[in-house]
Amino acid sequence: MRPDTLAALRRDLAARRPVVVAKWLATGEERLLHPFGPSAGGDPVDEKAREAARRDRSETVETPAGQVFLLVYNPPPRLVVVGAVHVTQALVPMARTAGYDVLVIDPRRSFASADRFQGIPVSTEWPDEALARMGLDRGCAVVTMTHDPKIDDPALAAALRSDAFYVGALGSRKTQAARRERLMGMGLSADDVKRIHGPVGLPIGAVSPGEIAVSILAEIVASLRMPSEPRAA
Amino acid sequence: MSDDELYRDALMALAREGVGAGRLEGAASSATRDNPLCGDRVTFEVRLENHRVSALAHQVRGCALCQAAASYLARSAPGASLADLSEARGALLALLRGGAATARPWPGLEVFAPVGRVKSRHACVLLPFDALADAIAGAEG
Repeated sequence: MRPDTLAALRRDLAARRPVVVAKWLATGEERLLHPFGPSAGGDPVDEKAREAARRDRSETVETPAGQVFLLVYNPPPRLVVVGAVHVTQALVPMARTAGYDVLVIDPRRSFASADRFQGIPVSTEWPDEALARMGLDRGCAVVTMTHDPKIDDPALAAALRSDAFYVGALGSRKTQAARRERLMGMGLSADDVKRIHGPVGLPIGAVSPGEIAVSILAEIVASLRMPSEPRAA
Repeated sequence: MSDDELYRDALMALAREGVGAGRLEGAASSATRDNPLCGDRVTFEVRLENHRVSALAHQVRGCALCQAAASYLARSAPGASLADLSEARGALLALLRGGAATARPWPGLEVFAPVGRVKSRHACVLLPFDALADAIAGAEG
């Protein structure tokens, strides 16, 4: 890789921008592509780069200009958990093991204590404030866990207005229905609100906090890796 | 309609009105209090003249009760000194605890009477009083 390509790549990754480095095998030409950026065009290489970035897999592709090697650099996926509850304590280390950058947000300081989440960034801001500051991108998953609409709703609204690939909310079917009404009262559309995974997690009969964490993380991984998969009703 | 229902509507109306919500230009002092159990957070900004509140504004992230109390203060506290506020807080606490009727230094405090029965929510109503007291004390230096 050329030094200038490498420098640009590092800047992009620091800013959490997905990047594909394209190398034309016949000529050695090298170009840095932003597969989801505003300037991403419709030429064959751009489209193939977008597909490769979506699959998160580097590969050699055939184009009218010959073979091109596409090297995919996606920033690590990020999980934002709103609510420093028991399930969160189980979910956080599992998500880290799976390669996620994790942030816990809970304005209730008694829950968000540092010794319950050692080594994990914990914010005691209100979630919409924290999310506005960090910015949510297509590599982010957001799960709300507090059961308090005062805290969960603004987080969900911020997540639904972003490109986050996964938005989940702990709560029964009944509370989900009431939540949908409230969010639509906040100006979100029915389609926006349909993006919420709730009841959260894959239906594996989870009971304990640890099991619920497994079901949530499994659903997040499925959303990232099988985005076209129809959602379980 | 019972007294309680009347007051509950009045409380909700106070919360919705958001009297004094926003920022105060040229604030002499600002103070924030939060409730670590529920996350409610109140910031008051004040200016004083002759030790009395001449202008104030607040930013509340919290429940309706917390918003109602901040709204109530924005209406009632202008002109008050720290001692006045402390007296009003004392009367409010007595009201919440259902004690014998004490003199009510500020009109309309009764609106918080229905909260009395729910001890866990007393803090929601008191939090703005404490934040404002901190802000005034800060401006007094």
